[in-house]
Amino acid sequence: MSLADLGKILREKTTNWPNGRVITVVIRDPNSPAMKFVIEKAMGGTAEDGKAILNEESRKPAASIIFVSSDEDIVKTVEANPTAIGIVDVYNITSGVKVIRIDDKQPFDPGYVLKGH
Amino acid sequence: MGFRNTFEFAIIAVFVAGIAAVSPIARAQKSAASRKISAPAVKSDTVPVTTSSKEARQDYELGLSHREDLLFTEEGIDFFRKSVKADPHFALGHATLAFFTIDPPEEVRELALAKASASRAAPDEKLLIQWMTGTKNGQLVPAIAAMNDLLAKYPNDKRLANMYGEWLLGAQQNYDLAAKVLEKVLKNDPDYYPALNNLAYSYALGGRAELAPPLMDQYVAALPGQPNPQDSYGEILRMLGDFPDALDHYRTALRIAPTFFTSQVGIASTYALMGDEERARFEYLKAIDMAKERTDRMDYRILWAMTYFRENRPGLARKAFAEVAAEAHKQNLPIEEAECHRDTALFNPDSESAMNDLDAASAVMADKRHILVGTRESELAKILQTRSFIAVRAGDVDAARKALEGLNSMAQTNRDNAVQDAYHSANGAVMFLQGDYSGAISELEEDPRDPLSLQLLADAESKAGQTADAQKTLKTLAAINDETVEMAVVVPPVRAALKSNGSPSAQETSH
Repeated sequence: MSLADLGKILREKTTNWPNGRVITVVIRDPNSPAMKFVIEKAMGGTAEDGKAILNEESRKPAASIIFVSSDEDIVKTVEANPTAIGIVDVYNITSGVKVIRIDDKQPFDPGYVLKGH
Repeated sequence: MGFRNTFEFAIIAVFVAGIAAVSPIARAQKSAASRKISAPAVKSDTVPVTTSSKEARQDYELGLSHREDLLFTEEGIDFFRKSVKADPHFALGHATLAFFTIDPPEEVRELALAKASASRAAPDEKLLIQWMTGTKNGQLVPAIAAMNDLLAKYPNDKRLANMYGEWLLGAQQNYDLAAKVLEKVLKNDPDYYPALNNLAYSYALGGRAELAPPLMDQYVAALPGQPNPQDSYGEILRMLGDFPDALDHYRTALRIAPTFFTSQVGIASTYALMGDEERARFEYLKAIDMAKERTDRMDYRILWAMTYFRENRPGLARKAFAEVAAEAHKQNLPIEEAECHRDTALFNPDSESAMNDLDAASAVMADKRHILVGTRESELAKILQTRSFIAVRAGDVDAARKALEGLNSMAQTNRDNAVQDAYHSANGAVMFLQGDYSGAISELEEDPRDPLSLQLLADAESKAGQTADAQKTLKTLAAINDETVEMAVVVPPVRAALKSNGSPSAQETSH
């Protein structure tokens, strides 16, 4: 997956996996400090714009986006939902989930795009 | 400037776009796993240990209690060696020895033996082996996943969580997460002393030093007859600049256990930091006599040689380092041999001659035998970073670019923090020399704990007109109290300049 693909999923420009199933995004509250970096990096624009898109009321009835309070909950939700995609600190992954390469790189790879301070 | 934490996000899924065809298998696996979960199982509180030898099991346990609980590191490693001798097919024993040893050829050998015998281990034990070996060979994503699986399965295995916290603290320098893991252990058992020790270091190194001494008091009270609490207290106080009290604690540790050599080194290094180099040499010689591991002995010889540079006696220093390098060569310790040349370069006031010293260091690392690729590249990265620092000192942009080229190709394939940090530092050095100060600042901030990078960062901030930031960075530098060569080269001139209200630059740090 490319960073642009991830951005499209977060912006709801891409809503289905190639097999047709609806993508469910599982993330922490977009207002949390940890999410600011991801929103800016993956969605482009400002964190405020990104938050507004993620918080759009129209997404909620279809359950295309779920906000949870911890990385542990993200991992558990993704483990239980085969159409879900989540974003967590790499130190919180388990073997119950797959880590998706972004722009052909995984966490700890040199030049991995979702690394910040 | 406070130390910034690096974070890295993972995108996770169970069912990934483009691999829809595998989903039935995944479902079948999940179903099988559910069936297993539903079966009644009696499980221990700790990760299983599989060996056919009672002696191997006993030695393994003694190794853990010495290495992990009481910090008798050499004795602990010796017990691990005995355990794999008693059972040569003991996979977890080999993995543990590979994880803890400081001897590069032993590390290579034991990793291979752990891999070869892993099939004999129990499933959960395999996860621990995967974590231990993965952290050594760069397979960090599956290693972390394996550790989190284990922590979830064995929430009462304090030693396991402490070992993870210690790795986050030492190898990953992820002080906040280490603190979080260790705080959780202590919430369940407030007196678990190995976690008290590691949590104090997590706070001290992570910018919350004021929280460390109370934990040290608790650690000392929990183990009144043991040397390590006193040793750790000494080191924490030394980091905070309280040298007299640090010496008291180190001496108390040695009164409790006269062979506890790390406290002897602590005393020597404290004298070195206080500027009493003659006394430091005397104390280092005692430490060299006390240490059993050849790598420890050689590392202390390097610190001993460095005292001559610290007191500005370059002729004696070069002679001492040349002798130590020759001995390291004789003993097949390439990292130590290369370090001798690199240290000499850092203290060399003549840039051209310093580059020759670094050529000698690189030549040592050209021999690829008996050393893991990662270990070799970490040292090479340090050598190249030093080259770029010296290039800045000389205003030599070509030399800095050349060092960056070497690091760039290494950083494409090596995920190790040491390599990545060195790359950013060298990139910052090139940008600095090209006058791109804001680019340099951004790059140098990626390596916020290395005194060489901090010195360049202060210079770049100063050149960019960010005077307040530059002063803050210099104050961070001046507060560092450790025994590394980088600190010995960079920090004393910074302290002197701050005292006289000046702003020293990299160009002025050559001794």
